[in-house]
Order: sequence, then structure tokens, then C-alpha cells
Amino acid sequence: MLLPIRLLAVLTTSLFLPLASAEHTNNWAVLVGTSRFWFNYRHLSNVLSMYRTVKRLGIPDSQIILMLPDDMACNPRNAFPGTVYSNSNRAMDLYGDNIEVDYRGYEVTVENFIRLLTDRVGDEMPRSKRLLTDDKSNILIYMTGHGGNEFLKFQDAEEIGAWDLADAFQQMWEKKRYHEILFMIDTCQANTMFSRLYSPNIIATGSSELDQSSYSHHADNDVGVAVIDRYTYYNLEFLENQVKDLSSQKTVGDLFDSYDISKIHSNPGMRYDLFPGGADVARSRLITDFFGNIQNVEVDQKENGALEEELLELGRTIAMLRQKEADELNQYNNATSVPASQPTEPVKHIRGATALTDDNWWTKKVVGATALAGCIGLWALGSFLET
Amino acid sequence: MAPPPSGPTQKDTASSAAASESPAPATSAIKAPPPETPTAICRRSYIVLSFWLLVVFLGIPFWWKTTTIYRADLPVDRMLEWADGKACRPAIPIQIAVHADSLQEEEANHLVRLAQHAIDDLNDFSGHHLRLQLAPRQDRPREGEHDPKSALSIHLKPGDATTAALDPYRAALDITYPLNSVPPLHSASSMLTTYIATELRSTFAEEQAIVSYLLSASPSSPTSKPAGLSPAVVEALEKRATRALRYAPTYHLTFSLFTDGPTPTTWDIDTAINEYMKPLLDVLGPIHNFTIDTQVQLYATPGVQSQTLTMDDLASFINAAEWPLSPSIGGAPTINFLTFIGNQTIGFPDSEGQTSQSWMIPQWGTVYLLSQPDTNNHVPKDALRQPMLTFGGHLLTLLGTPQSGSLPLRLSSLSRIRSADLLLRASDTLGSLARLSRSLSSIAIPRNVADGVAKSLQHLEEACASLGGSEALYHARIAEEEAERAFFEKSMVGQLYFPDEHKIAVYLPLLGPVTVPLVMGAIKEIKRLLQARKQRAQEAKEKKSQ
Repeated sequence: MLLPIRLLAVLTTSLFLPLASAEHTNNWAVLVGTSRFWFNYRHLSNVLSMYRTVKRLGIPDSQIILMLPDDMACNPRNAFPGTVYSNSNRAMDLYGDNIEVDYRGYEVTVENFIRLLTDRVGDEMPRSKRLLTDDKSNILIYMTGHGGNEFLKFQDAEEIGAWDLADAFQQMWEKKRYHEILFMIDTCQANTMFSRLYSPNIIATGSSELDQSSYSHHADNDVGVAVIDRYTYYNLEFLENQVKDLSSQKTVGDLFDSYDISKIHSNPGMRYDLFPGGADVARSRLITDFFGNIQNVEVDQKENGALEEELLELGRTIAMLRQKEADELNQYNNATSVPASQPTEPVKHIRGATALTDDNWWTKKVVGATALAGCIGLWALGSFLET
Repeated sequence: MAPPPSGPTQKDTASSAAASESPAPATSAIKAPPPETPTAICRRSYIVLSFWLLVVFLGIPFWWKTTTIYRADLPVDRMLEWADGKACRPAIPIQIAVHADSLQEEEANHLVRLAQHAIDDLNDFSGHHLRLQLAPRQDRPREGEHDPKSALSIHLKPGDATTAALDPYRAALDITYPLNSVPPLHSASSMLTTYIATELRSTFAEEQAIVSYLLSASPSSPTSKPAGLSPAVVEALEKRATRALRYAPTYHLTFSLFTDGPTPTTWDIDTAINEYMKPLLDVLGPIHNFTIDTQVQLYATPGVQSQTLTMDDLASFINAAEWPLSPSIGGAPTINFLTFIGNQTIGFPDSEGQTSQSWMIPQWGTVYLLSQPDTNNHVPKDALRQPMLTFGGHLLTLLGTPQSGSLPLRLSSLSRIRSADLLLRASDTLGSLARLSRSLSSIAIPRNVADGVAKSLQHLEEACASLGGSEALYHARIAEEEAERAFFEKSMVGQLYFPDEHKIAVYLPLLGPVTVPLVMGAIKEIKRLLQARKQRAQEAKEKKSQ
């Protein structure tokens, strides 16, 4: 008796949750550094390390949006020009070949970030700078910079609020622009940034609680500044050591369990309640579901030869038909001298688009005239009182 | 206001308090200002009044006008109706012309009627139904002629046995029948009609399944369950949905030749495309446009180096970090067709001896492994034949073409599926916009969004009315485009939320210094007026009592 019931349950869930159960088909990463100036070297190296990691796991540049507000490699204070390192051993130059920064310098603004998420961009925006996701896309969003209670500062000039971020995610969800999101943020009081999110299918994690700072890991004495933040450092350590390639079976839960408060020096936060199925399902998601690029390739078997023959056959037929059509058209044109302007389609009556707002010309004029008259009246009143 | 001095007896007890409170002109040490003239008092009142008038009638309206967000009126209810599937029940009628020139007029009519009944009995899904129609007789049946209104034409011909065959070059089904199987005029059913009905049903089974899946997958559908689809079919449909690219009016095709060595450097791609791809692209013309570019890359190392590629290797074969497969050419989505010159083979874990040359990456494109002797500097057209044909077949799959049936039929059903798909998408987008405009009360809605919505709604109506016809795709395409444009309106962005602290921080430095004198002046004036009124009333009373 139990079995049929369970079977029924499985069937009904699979019927009623067609979207939730479906797999994702592509992976995107949005990596954002938000601070400028030399002393924030570590924020840029945080972002670049993440960039290297997702690229290593197969996400192509076309599906990575990288936002770097400053160019540390070319900073005059950089003792190692043209390079950015995230470790004082300087084993790996993060700024080497094949780096594609999508938004740089003053392009990194709150507005551009929200535009990117919601895809509200003009026609002039190239496709490589757009987040062209759909309802089958998993997105990794990583942000780092200086933050506070429910805000993250962009470029010393403006800030994004937790509400703005939540609204942007909601707009993405409404337009089916993601399947699942892993939101990761490394900043002071980071956990407040995801406290306002309210859209489903989001796993969120941050480096520190309210009123807690997020600390840098270590400084490179030759570079002269701190080169990486603790939270990012230990995330990367896990990703480098445990997730070697796409076939890794490590889960998001494994990553979160690897966080050690004594090493990170702040309390990392996680948020699962937006995820359908809660903590268990969220924690069982593979790391590569967000950091890697999963492709379910389909190999052609030999039996498909029939189709190709058919295609070739079709190619010949179409050429023949086209020839015939052209011939017929010629004949037709020769035989009957029909005027070319003869309407071939029936005339349709299409109701034009109706304007939905009706503030017309006259009301605007009246408002203007009234304002003018009011001003003149005030002036007259003033001069009357003066005398 | 100072109380009037009570009398000379209190003069000597006048303390400092009395001096400040009741400045008697003769005795007080501090000289009081001269009494205000009535004109000055009057002028002061006018000044206060004019400031208030200025603030109330000019300042506040200006502030209101300049700080309100323009929100065009959206027909939210109607948009939600579309999104919920209440405005239009998508139903795709498929016209099938029956050519039965060898039968008598009456007999043919009867046959069509019976076959229609049989089809209606078989069909259990209302969103997709077949309508038979007897085609007008032609004295001379012309080959290649096809009525654009009907999706399929059936040619009934007398023969030895009941057979059915799809014409590979036209959307036509040739059915032969033995003479004795034609239903007599008053019979209720016959073998032939049932045969026609089942044939048609199986021909359109895939399309019907896809449409029913589409309707059930969209949240707008009234019935949230695919009508009578088996789990295996649903799985196949889901696979199709994950494989197929999202509809776009134009696609960009990139043909790339990658080689891990210095050769080959040239290939006959132009003639190969003309020969093997062009005809296919031409027949797809009514549904999509295509732009094409090609590239050759030497010394391109794949992501996997091993000789025999396993299934896992295939996923990481594309060296995404280094190969220039950029999507940023033009505004259209790119489909990649990649020919890799190398002697790698694909190994199947389960079946020995089976080999394959190519694999498809869903929503991305195809990779074809072409082995070629190293010395060859040029890839001739003939060597590209097999890759090109594979690409052609995969292109159809990536565009979401149904798998079964003859090509013309598959393409016409693709256009019907796409129009239903676009219709649902557009309604969905409108619904999202409507919900968004309700939930985000501070988002600006410019006028062109409202215009786009109106246009989209209008084309949606026309698309809904013409579903199954050739114009449906055109209208659905415009409706979807307009709805997308309205949703992704560039100016509907910006920081939407300002906390109250921000508002206070912005307004207080300006409004604080301005409002204090304004309010104080008003209070003083009102107090004075009340005092004057009281005094007048008292005086009047005193006068009366005298």
C-alpha cells in the first residue's frame, strides 16, 4: 500500500512542479568588485580569483560578467606592473592572458549593476556585456567591497541597498531570468545584504554578521597591501583542493561546512529559506551547478545517417523546385500581363494601437497659462503692497 | 502682550519682573520701542500671508510635480487576463485539404464527414484539432502546387491496398485505398475513414504533444497537467525544451575550423555552405533569418587532450577559455558549428565498436571531429559534406523542429509551435510587467511602455485569432517583441528604494531653516489676530454696557 502512495506522490510532484524539477542548461557568473583605489587591492584580487576559478571549471568568458572598478595591474604604485596576485607567494598571476573585463572603471555603478541584472539596457549594449540568461540558467553572483548594514558601497560615491538588490532579483524572477542563484558576498556586515531578498530559488551566503567586519587574510610586503580577504581565501582553498574538475561531486553544503570561524574571524551566514525544499535541498546542490559549466552533450550515433541522406536529398529537391518556380513565374509573367500593383492580399482592417494616457495638448496649455497668470498676479500683488 | 498697568500704588514694589513684563513708559529703565503703527502691522500680515501663498500655491505643486514618478496607465487587468490564459484559449486548428478527385462529389463529402467524426472521437486535447476539408476539384492536378491555407493535403487515390505515405517534398499525405473500402453513402463508419483518422493522428502526434506540453508548462494554462501524456513522452518533450534555443527572429551561425596544428589553413566553406546549408536555410526562411560567418583557428588546443573521448570529456572539450567563440557579433544569438581537425574518437562506455564523429551541445551548437592527414593543407568541399549535413540536422533540432514526419511538414509544424510558444511567452511577459508595476510602486513607467503594451495586446489578439494560420507567427512575433521591449524599457531602472532616513537627510537641511520662520510667523500672526478679535469683542461689550 505504501508503494503506490509514494509513487503517486512522486508523480504528482513531478506533474505540478515542472519548472522546479527541470535541470539547468547553462551557467552564468556575475563577479563584482565595488571598490576603487590602491588600498582596496584585495577586493580586486578577490574578484579575479573567483574569475579564474569559474573559468577553470568551464564557464566561458561569454557567460562571465566581470566588473572591476579599478585597474590594479596598471596602478603606478604596483611594484609588479601588469600583474595582480592573491597570494604573497606570487605563484599565480591573476591578470595574465585571456582576461575579459566587461565593466571597468567608472562603468561599475549601481545603476549598471541593476541594469545588468534586469537586462534593462539600450540597443547599444553589446551582447557580451549582457546577462542573457533564461529560466534554465544557474547564476553565481559574487560581490565584494566595503559594506555596512544593508548596503554595499560602490566606488566611494554611491551604494546599493539590500532592498534594491532584492527588487532586482524579484524582477529577474518575474521575467524568468534564472533557474537558481548562488549569491555570495564578502564585505563587512555582509549577511545584512541578503536579509531583504524575497525571490525564490536563491541560496545566499556572506562573510560576516551585522556589526562584524570582514577581515583580510594576509598582506604581501612587496606589494605593500593586503592581497586577499579571509572569507574568499577559504572559499577558494576549498574550491582549489576539493573541486578539481567538473566531475566533482562536492555539494554546496560541503563548502559551507568547510567554513571555520576561527580562520575566517567572522561568522559566515547562509540563507536557505528561499530555496524550495529548504536547507536540505539547497545544501545538496553540487558546487559545479554554480561554479562550473554543465553541458549535457548528445552524441550522434551512426543510425542518424538516414537523416543526413534525407537532408541531401532535400537540398537537391529544393534546388529543383526553386528552378521550376522561377520558370513558372517567368511563364506566368509572359503569358498574362497583370499589372504589378494588383493587390494580392485581402485588405485587412487592423485597429490601430490606442494611446492609454489622455493628457492632451490643451490641458498642458491651460496649466502653463495658469502658472504664468499666477506669477503675474503675485508680482502685481507684490508691487501693490510696495506702494 | 503686556497687561495694562494696574495702578500707581504698585509702582514702588515694581521688581525686575515688572520691569520686563510691564514696561510703563515713564518709570521703566529700558526704553520700549514706539508702538507699531497699524500700517506696519498690516504690512507684516501681508508679508506673512504672501509667503504662505507662495509656498502653498507655487512651492508645493512644484515639489509635487517634480518629485512624482511618471507612471503611465497600464491596462493591468487585461494584461493579467492574458497571463492567466483567460483572454485567449490557445487552440490551433489545422486545416487539411482532402483531394479525392477519383471519387464522386457526394461520396467524397461523406467520406470527409465520416473521417472528421473519427478524428474528433480520437482527439482528447482541445488545444490542437484537425479539420478536414474537401478541396475543390482540379481538372489537372498540378504537382508541387500547395494551398497555403492548409497545413497538409491528403491525396486519395484508388489502389490495391490501404497504404499511406508522406510526400518527402511537400506537406502531403498520399493514401491509396481499394475501391471497395469507400464507405457507402449511408454507412456510419468504415475502415477507410478510421484508417485516415489514425494516420493523421499519428502524423500530428508529436506536434500535438509538444503543444500540449507547452500549454501545460506555462503557468498561464487553465489546466496544469499535460493532457494524457505518458511520462516517457513528457521526458522527451522536456529534453526538446532544454535542447532548443529560445526563439529569435534572427540567428547568427558561426562555422569554425579549429586545428591543433599548423594545417589545414584553408577550407571550401563557402561552396560547402551553398551546397549543403543554403537549401535548408532557405526553407527555414519564413520562420528565421540567418547571418553567417566563418573562421579558421590554428594551434587550438582542446580542453581535453586524450585520444579517446569519453562522455565526460565531451562536455569540457571546448576550450572556453581560449577559443574565440564570442557571441558578441551583432545582436542575434549565435549558433556555433565547430569542425575540429584531429584524430580523436569518441568512446561509448556501453556499446563496443560503435564510433561517432560529432556531438551536440544543447542551446549552443555542434562539434564535429574531422580526421584528416596532417600533410593536407586544404579541406575540400567533399570532406565537409558529412559535417555540413550533420550541422544541418542539428540546426533543425536546435531550432526545436519536431523529429518525425517529412521535412515540409516538420517545418510547418515548427512555425505553428513557435507561434503558440511566442503567444504564451508574450502573455507571460505582460503578466510579469503587470505584477511588477503593482508590486514596485515607485518604479517609473514611461509612456512608450504603455504604447508597447497596447501594441502587444493588439497583436496578441490577432495572433490568437489566427493561430494555425500563416499569419499567427508574424503577429505573435511582433507581440512578443513589443512585450519584451516594454518589459525591458531602459528607463525603468534606477534606485527604486530610498529609506526614510535618506529622505529626512535630503529634506531637512533645506526645509528646516525655511519652515521655522514661516511657521513661527504664522503662529504669531494668528495669535495677534485672535487677541485683536478678543479686544474688539470686549470693547464692544464695554460700549454696550455703557
